Amino acid sequence: MIARYFTYALISLILVAVQTKLMRLLTVEGITPDILTIWVVFLALREGQLPASVWGFCIGLLFDLATGNFLGLSALSKTICGFFAGYFYSETKMMLTLASYRFLMVVLFASVIQNTVYFIIYSQGSEIGLLRAIFQVGLATAFYTTTWTLLPMFAFTRRSTR
Amino acid sequence: MHRFLGLLGLFKEYLVLTFLIVISLVLLSLNDNNQVRAIRSTAVGFVGFMQNALAIIPNVVELKKENEVLRQLNVNLSNEVSLLREARLENLRMREMAGLKEHSTFKLTAGNVIGKSLLLLRNTITLDIGERDGIKADMPVISETGLVGKVIATSDHYSIAQLMQNKDFRASAKIQRTRVDGIIAWGGGDVLRLKNVSKTEDVRPGDIVITSEYSSVFPREIKIGLVSKIEEKPGSLFKEVEVTPSVDFASLEQVFVVTSAPDPERTEIEKKAARTK
Repeated sequence: MIARYFTYALISLILVAVQTKLMRLLTVEGITPDILTIWVVFLALREGQLPASVWGFCIGLLFDLATGNFLGLSALSKTICGFFAGYFYSETKMMLTLASYRFLMVVLFASVIQNTVYFIIYSQGSEIGLLRAIFQVGLATAFYTTTWTLLPMFAFTRRSTR
Repeated sequence: MHRFLGLLGLFKEYLVLTFLIVISLVLLSLNDNNQVRAIRSTAVGFVGFMQNALAIIPNVVELKKENEVLRQLNVNLSNEVSLLREARLENLRMREMAGLKEHSTFKLTAGNVIGKSLLLLRNTITLDIGERDGIKADMPVISETGLVGKVIATSDHYSIAQLMQNKDFRASAKIQRTRVDGIIAWGGGDVLRLKNVSKTEDVRPGDIVITSEYSSVFPREIKIGLVSKIEEKPGSLFKEVEVTPSVDFASLEQVFVVTSAPDPERTEIEKKAARTK
């Protein structure tokens, strides 16, 4: 279990680095896919609600520290993302979920909630309107991120069919 | 304890979520940007609104406490009002007395009435000033409203004054308006009588009665009272003039003793003349 968690931590560090440095290359119309959300949802479906909340917090905090933008904002939004994604956790149907469109649906659902929380706070005191931020940026990011979830979903599909 | 831990275990996801959210919010509050400032402002506004909204709900415990405090305050203030009222009255009395002392041509010594005897035929008051204050027998006693009586006995620190309402009291008096002379004496009860006033003299109710210059004991022109009633009995040469004293003996608290001695030469010659008669 410790080895598994150590692996998660290592992958999290790598993904934070990738998200910070490389994902901007995939930006379309200012919208960047959030692979950290996919990772948190994956952890929620694999480990459950409680670990996903903690991992979401840790990964979000790591991202905040790496970007130095708004300390605590990603930690909060990813904690909530992990918590809600954890509702879809089922020990027996774990691979079934990860290898099917359900994974996409959970990512979309968790991403929408996460972006809503994120922009509720981020749009305060700024000229960006809350609804505009949620619908134009939040939803777009959620859909774009869901699109990128196809990759791990196909990977899990191949793995499950072997 | 086990049950409590079991309960915690049941809600552990929510507890952990709450804990993480709190930490996140604390971290958010460490930022100093527009968003955090706006959230702080909104939070302050919200808290203020809620406090304002909840203020209309009466808190029974607080109201009870407040009621007790207000009641106590009310008692204290009532006491204070009473003391102030007393002080005001005393102040007014003192002012009047001070005014009398200022305008008086006699030497006056102030004293407090520490005892009264108003039920007998020989009504007296006891003063807290005596021989050490220069008080001697026969010295006139006055108040801010008029003549009170005269000193009849003294000790080192106390003296007793005979009131006008005393059967042994006599003083030369006159009607201020018409200068008609008479002798003032106690008429029983609350009234005095101006005696030896001829039926032909002009005396009317409401006339002011003052001490006369004929008296060797009392200074002249000290107010005694007002003529309240005049009767003319058949077979008598004199009028029955009833005088209401200007001094309220029942409420007498402070008085002055006129310590200027009467002219000794005059007293001496008057005594000599009386003896030769």
